[in-house]
Amino acid sequence: MEVLSAGLGEFRFTEPDAIRAWMRDRKRRDFIDKTLTAGEAVHRFVADGDYVSFDFSSYTRGPLGLIREIIRQRRRDLWYCAKFTLMESTLLVAAGACSRIDVGFMGLGESLNRAVEEGRVKVVEWTNGALTLRHLAGGMGVPFLPTRALLGTDTLKYSGARVVTDPFGGKPIALVPALNPDVGLIHVHQADLYGNARCFGPGVSPLETAMASKKVIISADEIIDHEEIRKDPAKTTIPYFMVDAVVPAPFGAYPGGVQGLYEADYEHFAEYTGLEREGRLAEYLDKYVYSVGSDLEMLEKRVGLGRLNGLRRRATIREGYR
Amino acid sequence: MTREFTEAEFMIAQCARLLEDQKTAFIGFGMPQVAAMLAQRLQAPQLVQVFEFGAIGPIPLTPFVRGTMGGPANCYRSIAWTSMNQIFAQAQVGLIDYGVLGATQIDRYGNINSTMLGDDFTRPKKRFPGSGGANEVASYCWKTIVIMLHERRRFVPRVDFVTSPGYLDGTPGARERAGLPSDTGPWRVVTSKALFGFDLESREMKLIGVLQGLTQVQVLAEMEFKPVVAEPLEALAPPTAAELRILREEIDPSRTIVGRPAQ
Repeated sequence: MEVLSAGLGEFRFTEPDAIRAWMRDRKRRDFIDKTLTAGEAVHRFVADGDYVSFDFSSYTRGPLGLIREIIRQRRRDLWYCAKFTLMESTLLVAAGACSRIDVGFMGLGESLNRAVEEGRVKVVEWTNGALTLRHLAGGMGVPFLPTRALLGTDTLKYSGARVVTDPFGGKPIALVPALNPDVGLIHVHQADLYGNARCFGPGVSPLETAMASKKVIISADEIIDHEEIRKDPAKTTIPYFMVDAVVPAPFGAYPGGVQGLYEADYEHFAEYTGLEREGRLAEYLDKYVYSVGSDLEMLEKRVGLGRLNGLRRRATIREGYR
Repeated sequence: MTREFTEAEFMIAQCARLLEDQKTAFIGFGMPQVAAMLAQRLQAPQLVQVFEFGAIGPIPLTPFVRGTMGGPANCYRSIAWTSMNQIFAQAQVGLIDYGVLGATQIDRYGNINSTMLGDDFTRPKKRFPGSGGANEVASYCWKTIVIMLHERRRFVPRVDFVTSPGYLDGTPGARERAGLPSDTGPWRVVTSKALFGFDLESREMKLIGVLQGLTQVQVLAEMEFKPVVAEPLEALAPPTAAELRILREEIDPSRTIVGRPAQ
């Protein structure tokens, strides 16, 4: 295939055979209890310099508890996949945990934009669709997938995509390279001890993120019996053998919500926005991350049962989320 | 001039009037969501909204709350819940009629910038959150509607960064030559002062309507390039009492998107 143009952006790429070997050697097929605390899971599975992919949104079913633990353990030099991110990419950069971002949509507030303007974080330009397609390619074990988006734009020029002549139809087509993140972080409604996981409602790419990532950490609002999975297999979003750790995490998406379980805490987002605007994210991080030993302690001491119960009461729309 | 409606209310009402019943429309974050909700309460109760995280056909609950994209109120009474790869595949194969997007900057050929200002990518003068799903929406949907404030600095001869494709360099067949799907592209630009289409020959932005009470000169003064001007120009009706009531009482009572008229 003739390469007509190539984007200038740096990108992570792993040979499909290397990924196959990883999947053969490192993804366990035996049914073992994979439950860990967030602290243990991040300690074992997230290393400095890792490429980290996050699923869905800070407002809805995002693994915010795992993000806080990564910040608490002071990981450095992460390459972060912002396929649809708001608050957490801002927090990772404010905490000095992240030095590169693949941009679909990033940030909540202006501080992350300023970090880019001042060269404190490097960005590679993609789109939400291109990044999820890269996960699909990585999870399928193919080196790339084609798309008819990106073409003709500066987004393509500053991405790692390439334009080739379609060998079948003869028109230009964009190819995006497979992405196999070192770490995939996914918050789910329910999981069993082995990592069979259920997400209810729409989502960005929980399955593709699990398929593609070398190390997958699931946090689950509820741990369910394995027998429940066997009784209703159509509800399984992610099969266990993709998963490396299961973190039992009630309110693990806080301050975001989980559909049918609890609403997002808009007062918390207002507090965040106020501090972010005043350049006081260090105070925010100290209050919600560094000054507490775990997310459980944060929820107990900084939020409280009364407020959490209120968020549960506000989740009145249940249809489709069980 | 004091007015009884806000710029946002006019933009949202204009945009909502363009959306037809029983058509599919890819809806972006913020103002496009409110426009789609308004259309559903007026002429398009069965407008099939789709969102980039895969919800198809929701009838979102009101009042609208910023930040609920993907949440239960936003995805209420959907037809299907899919995923991002699924919904962009459906748009790419040609199933989505309209795309509705916000933009920071736009040029005479409808190219959209939502990435950065300046000429050095590595050190932008001003950085924005990026494409999100806008590049896909502008590439795949049959008719793209862009909704944006009418300010001089936003209407430029050439955008600093082409985040999402319009008619590119404006030459005939530019989108198709780049490999984009045929017969797609920006169709309308809805602003706080006017309504634009695109000239079928030159692919240049074309002024087709001006808000009642404003003149063509006032509109053109707030643009860094001169668009083609249609003859005759349509006088765009301000938001109706019914549109304002639905926006203020049902959809956005806290006025987070629509704002409040100046006293």
